[in-house]
Amino acid sequence: MNKLAYDDGSTWFYRLRETTAFWMFLILLGLVALFSLISPHHAFLSVNNFFNIALNASQLVLLAVGMTFLLGAKEFDLSVGSNIVLASILAAKTITALAGTPDEVAVGDYPHLGLAVAVGVVVALGSGALFGLVNGLLVTTLRLSSFLVTLATTAIGLGMALVLTHGANVPDIPRALQTDFATYRLFDLVPLPVLLSLALVMLLWFVLAQTRFGVHTLALGSSVDAARRAGINHKLHLLKLFALMGVLCGVAALLDISRFATTNIGGHQTDNLQAVAAAVIGGTSLFGGMASVQGTLVGSLIPVVLGTGLVIMGLDSFYQLILVGLIVIAAVYIDQRNRQTRF
Amino acid sequence: MHSPQQYLAAQAAPANGGAHLPSVGRREPALQAIGITKNFGSLEVLKGVSMELYRGEITAVVGDNGAGKSTFMKVLSGEHAPTGGQLCVNGKEVLLRSTQDAQTFGIETVYQDLALAPDLSVAENVFLGRELKAPGWRGRIGMLDRPQMLAESTRILTELGAKLKSYRATTQSLSGGQRQGVAIARAIKWARHAILMDEPTAALGTRQRDMVYEAIRAAAQRNLAVLLISHDLPQVLALADRIVVMRQGVAIANLVPAEVTVRDVVDVMLGAKPT
Ligand SMILES: Nc1ncnc2c1ncn2[C@@H]1O[C@H](COP(=O)(O)OP(=O)(O)OP(=O)(O)O)[C@@H](O)[C@H]1O
Ligand SMILES: [Mg+2]
Repeated sequence: MNKLAYDDGSTWFYRLRETTAFWMFLILLGLVALFSLISPHHAFLSVNNFFNIALNASQLVLLAVGMTFLLGAKEFDLSVGSNIVLASILAAKTITALAGTPDEVAVGDYPHLGLAVAVGVVVALGSGALFGLVNGLLVTTLRLSSFLVTLATTAIGLGMALVLTHGANVPDIPRALQTDFATYRLFDLVPLPVLLSLALVMLLWFVLAQTRFGVHTLALGSSVDAARRAGINHKLHLLKLFALMGVLCGVAALLDISRFATTNIGGHQTDNLQAVAAAVIGGTSLFGGMASVQGTLVGSLIPVVLGTGLVIMGLDSFYQLILVGLIVIAAVYIDQRNRQTRF
Repeated sequence: MHSPQQYLAAQAAPANGGAHLPSVGRREPALQAIGITKNFGSLEVLKGVSMELYRGEITAVVGDNGAGKSTFMKVLSGEHAPTGGQLCVNGKEVLLRSTQDAQTFGIETVYQDLALAPDLSVAENVFLGRELKAPGWRGRIGMLDRPQMLAESTRILTELGAKLKSYRATTQSLSGGQRQGVAIARAIKWARHAILMDEPTAALGTRQRDMVYEAIRAAAQRNLAVLLISHDLPQVLALADRIVVMRQGVAIANLVPAEVTVRDVVDVMLGAKPT
């Protein structure tokens, strides 16, 4: 397969064609076109619907981008769901505790809302980062595989969440989080969470594709020895990656409690697999060394578009799971094949 | 004793090649080892090895398996701390606590394997760990200067005679010889004084070996001191300026290729001939 010749005049389009992200983007466009055509009254084809899709993908894409960095470095984080649950509980408890007296809060009166939310944000991000750091420390100091470490911390994190709440979701989260943030639409159009997620995705695209940190991440996933011999502090770098994943979980937790005005203790069990699926669909390799944030963005949208499209067409949204599974298999197959024949 | 930082401050880092004309008469070795000993527990692997590496010269180190060649090289490359002895770079004693220290002192190592990240491009590998920042504000926000990295890698590898289809290609798409070429190019790019190579051709076929030998010559021509460990005695005789024979942790002989045959070298290596 020695047909690539970037340096002698091939175009950017030629290079683009070689990426999984590009083909998945075409599939995404195809799905959008298909659903637009065949949905009753072309209900799918509306700006509003597109922003709804983006809103529904805004949490997943954050986790998936964090996973993209970890997979790029040949690591893994199964514990993102538990991280989100724990962070959202701590943030929700903080906010409801600080916003007013219990009596005030119980009747929906929040005299100290601003302060409460500010501290809540710090708590969510801090809890997420700490959770990620613990994962990273266990991986780097005990030299255990991140798969096993995060499997264990999934259980520990969820256990802690249940102990803290006795299994009941935190009530009385201020509705203002919903109305003024999560469902607020800039220019009556763009949901703020979408803007937030998009900004983070763009920032992290830049970091992975254009900075030293990104190159070192992929170098680690490609060959730890080569990276170490080049002077890259691999333990420190892994810690940063796990912490980054944790912070993104914290942001996702904030989006979660803002959108639904409640914690969701039982609801994040498959977040990890969805995040991995989105990354893999977008061309990030399970074998490390190859990762694409733009691909992950596409990979996060495909499942949501499928789900929304099926619902609009009146079909059972459970089909979405089956279809996403098939697309993941296709993506993993392409990844595997690329490994064997790349260039 | 100099720390890398002091050393760098004292040294207005000279560019590769050209700048150093070997002074006539008493030459100063670029890298000098004096009475290096190394014990692993109670095992004495190096028993006082002294060696000088000169600019523009290829010094081959030969010896039977287990003679201590690799261990000696790892002391020079900062991977092993010696048990005793001294190392001098350009006549100044240095302490190498890591391979990064050695790199700071202008000593680069070419490893037989594990050297390159297969998923990264040629340019990314040449600059791995020492990436160039883009000029101006783009560099300040952490952006890499990919065009410059690509241009410099292309230039060095072209000068070494490596014909690569693409310098954006990942190194796993290259042949073994090309990969070793990239590793040597990286060493040449960053070395200011010495390049150390431990059996750089052991895993290669004949044609690919020739490519690598060309690159080794090119390194010496750039006025770097080259240390080459090799079991390929005919090649060593053709390539090296000096041959140091090691046996059981001691450098037992210093031979000039023009004056000896493969047979002679083997005899010395195996101790069949008094030195
Ligand atoms: N890290 C280590 N710990 C203990 N012993 C070691 C270590 N590294 C090397 N040795 C021992 O030191 C001796 C010299 O090894 P070294 O690798 O330097 O030999 P060599 O000359 O490079 O041999 P070869 O030609 O086989 O590569 C051997 O007996 C080896 O077992
Ligand atoms: Mg050896």
